[in-house]
Formats: sequence, C-alpha cells, structure tokens
Amino acid sequence: MQGPQRMAGEPISEAEALERLRQNDDPSMQYYGAWWLGRNRSQHPDAVPLLIEALRQRRPRAPGAGVEENAVARNAARALGKLAPAAHAAIAELLAALDDPDDGLREAAARALGELKARQAVAPLCRRLAPGPAVVGAQQPNNPRLVEPCEALLEALGEIGLADDTVRGVIEPFVNHERPLIRSAAARALLQLSDEPRWAEPLLALLRHEQLHVRRAALMDLGAAGYRPAVDAISTTLAENSLKLIALRGLVENGRGEPDDETLLVAMDALL
Amino acid sequence: MSTITPLIAAVQQAGSALELLRATAALAASGDSAAAPTLVEVLGFNNPGAAVAAVDGLIAIGTPAVEPLLQLDPRNYGARAWAVRALAGIGDVRGLDLLIEALRDDVGPSVRRAAAKGLGSLKLQALDADERAAIEQRCLEALLEGYRDGEWVVRYAVTVGLEGLALGGGWPDSHPPHGRACEALRQRSDHRHEDARVVRLRAELGLTRLLPC
Repeated sequence: MQGPQRMAGEPISEAEALERLRQNDDPSMQYYGAWWLGRNRSQHPDAVPLLIEALRQRRPRAPGAGVEENAVARNAARALGKLAPAAHAAIAELLAALDDPDDGLREAAARALGELKARQAVAPLCRRLAPGPAVVGAQQPNNPRLVEPCEALLEALGEIGLADDTVRGVIEPFVNHERPLIRSAAARALLQLSDEPRWAEPLLALLRHEQLHVRRAALMDLGAAGYRPAVDAISTTLAENSLKLIALRGLVENGRGEPDDETLLVAMDALL
Repeated sequence: MSTITPLIAAVQQAGSALELLRATAALAASGDSAAAPTLVEVLGFNNPGAAVAAVDGLIAIGTPAVEPLLQLDPRNYGARAWAVRALAGIGDVRGLDLLIEALRDDVGPSVRRAAAKGLGSLKLQALDADERAAIEQRCLEALLEGYRDGEWVVRYAVTVGLEGLALGGGWPDSHPPHGRACEALRQRSDHRHEDARVVRLRAELGLTRLLPC
C-alpha cells in the first residue's frame, strides 16, 4: 500500500510516528505511534513531550473495540520507560499515573518508573503495597486482576534498587502470595535489594513448577537479579533454550562473583 | 522384524501430545539409524517437546540421518527449522548450504543461532586439504556476514562459531583466515561495535583461546 495512510504494522519513519502521536482524531494511530517511539528508542526532542501529553489522555474502553481502557496513555507510559535519560522529564507525570483509578495504567507507570530507576517512586510504590497481600494482593471482584498490579510494583522496587529495611519489609510478605508470579516478583526484588541467597530459594523452586509460564517467569527473574549460583538450575529447566540464554545473559551482565564469567559463557554455548 | 519396528509404530500411533513425546524419546534413545526417517517426520508434527527429542535422536544417529533431513520439503517451515538444528549438531558437510541459508535468511532467531554455531563445528577432518580450505572459507564468509544480525543471541552464536571454525581448522597464526577471524572477534569485543556486553565478553574469551600468550 502506498501513501500516508499505510496500515499499522508496516515500517514507518520516526517523523511519521511522531505525527501519528501528535494528531488527535484516531487513537489507534496514537497507540501505534507511542509504541514505535519506545520500541525504536527515539531520541527526537519531540518524543518525550508528546508522550507526556499522551499519558494525560483518558478514554474508556470502547465496547467491542478490542482495545484496552486508556490504551494510548498506557502505551505512552510503556514507551517513556524505554527513553531514559530524556524521559526523566516525565517522572512527575508517571508518579501521578501511579495514583490513577485504572490499575492497568498504574501497572504501566510502575514498570516505566522502574526502568527509569526513579528513586522518587519508592515511597509511593511502597504505599501501594503496604496494606499487604491479603488486601492489595486480593483478586478484584468479577475480574482475575489483583487490587493492585503487585507484580509490576514489586519489580519496579527491585529495579530502582533502593536497598532499605523499610522497602524490604513491605516486599517480604508477598513471597508467600498464592500466585506463583507474585512470589517470583517478590523474591526477585528481595534478591536485588539484599545479598541474601535465601531469596533465591523461591525462584529455584519455581523453575520446577508444573506450568511453563511460571518456569519462564522464574527464569527471567533470576536473570534480572543476576543470581549466578543458579546457572545449572537454569540450564536444566524445562523451557525453551532462547529463554534460558536470556536468563544466563542476565547472570553475566547483572551478577558478580562465582561462578565466574567463563563458566557462565560455557553454559550459554551449550544451549545454542 | 527389527527391534525398532514397535518403537516406530508407537510414534505413528501416538494419540496425544504426551504419548508422542514419550514414544519419540524412546525411539530417539534407540540410536538406530533405521529410526531416522520417522524422527524426521516428527519434526513436522508441531509438537516442540517431541521435536526436541527427535533432534537429539537425529544428532546421536549422525551421518545416516543427513539424507532424510535434506529431503524435507522446504515449504514445511516448522520442520525445516528443527532440521537446521539437527544438521548443526551433526556437523556433516552436506548440511553446509542449508546452514548458510538459514543463518542469512531464516526469520527465527533461534534457527539462525543454531546455524551459526553449526557453521563453526562442521566435521571436515576427512576431506582433502583443498576442499577443506574452500569449505572453511565459505563458513568464514557466512559467519562474518552473520555479525550484521540485529539479535544479540545470533551475534553471540556467530562469535562461538568463529572460534570453533578457527580452532577446529587448526589454522596457523600466519593463515589469512585466522587473522580475519581474530580481527572480527577483536572488533566484536569493542563497545563501539557491539552493544551487548555478553557478546563482547564472549568475543574476548574467543580471542584468549585463539591467541594464547
């Protein structure tokens, strides 16, 4: 197809992505434009201001449209997370989104604040989690989602990396949450925020969970935490080698100590 | 009647994904070259667990598995992707064209990754010197080209492939391909050329193995 009205999904230029985000008539074009700028880590000076503008947009989910609530704002938040350091200008807006009534938008904002390593977000993230797993980790009525997007909030605290007793105290009770992905996220954050190997135990146990998606999550979390002693457990997990390689890359790049780099690289070679 | 006939029948009659996985693993464990055509068939069944078991079995069978692998219908994309992994593991020189093509053109990073590693581990010892040098040259060019790949894991595998090619070739330091492989690894260990730290570290490791001091 030719001309400016190409289909979403076809390659577009940065200028066109910015234009799609700037216009206000078609939210699906804005949605795609926001995604494009994050995906391609746009350094254009207009990218962050336009994404901040898009982050303010609120739009209920159109019935039957197959599009999520506040889709443009959520995608803008996701994109901002990928645009450090320029996106530091967006931290105030992302913090505001952390208090939005839409839990999906709170989730996207939390992840972005984690990626931006925004220390200002630690207190509000802790406030969201402080009531504990029985309250904010409970399932919403008529909806499989939890009251708070706990996984994203926990992961953000781990990524930001403020190792503080208060923060760890807020996270700890979530290690016993009934959902394995929440346990995984909590253990990952505690491993990132302490030097205590005991927090690797729940993750190593989840590598042997009966469900593949749980094993995958535990792989990613061990990689993010860079927990090097997990190398053999990762290599022998029943999951795709592609994911094990990503996890082992995480051990190399995010971890330190024993086993040494060469041991990890040899383990990666065996999975190619 | 051979002892593997019932194992082959079990694969062909498997009624569920789990049964297929178990029957394939049992057939693969036989290591019998007569199992090869059936194991190749399993690659096209869209059952990743069974395909992994079949690939392991085909690699164990080795040379006799190469012909049935090369005869796979190129339009059966799923089966071809698994076949690339099997051929990469077997290291038979008849797989060369398919590995080069896979590294260059395959849409799946996991297939390109396997092809890159395979190009560094072909078994060329039995060939005469000229033929061997010509094949090593083709592997080298394909791998160097593979560094243009956008996926870190493919560039990682290219690094492993280059190291394997140079070590396996037993090239003397004065051999021009050895110099080109080392130069490529040196560039790859530089952050101005490579974003992924793990790839840079792997390239450094390759250099220490190729240029022991």
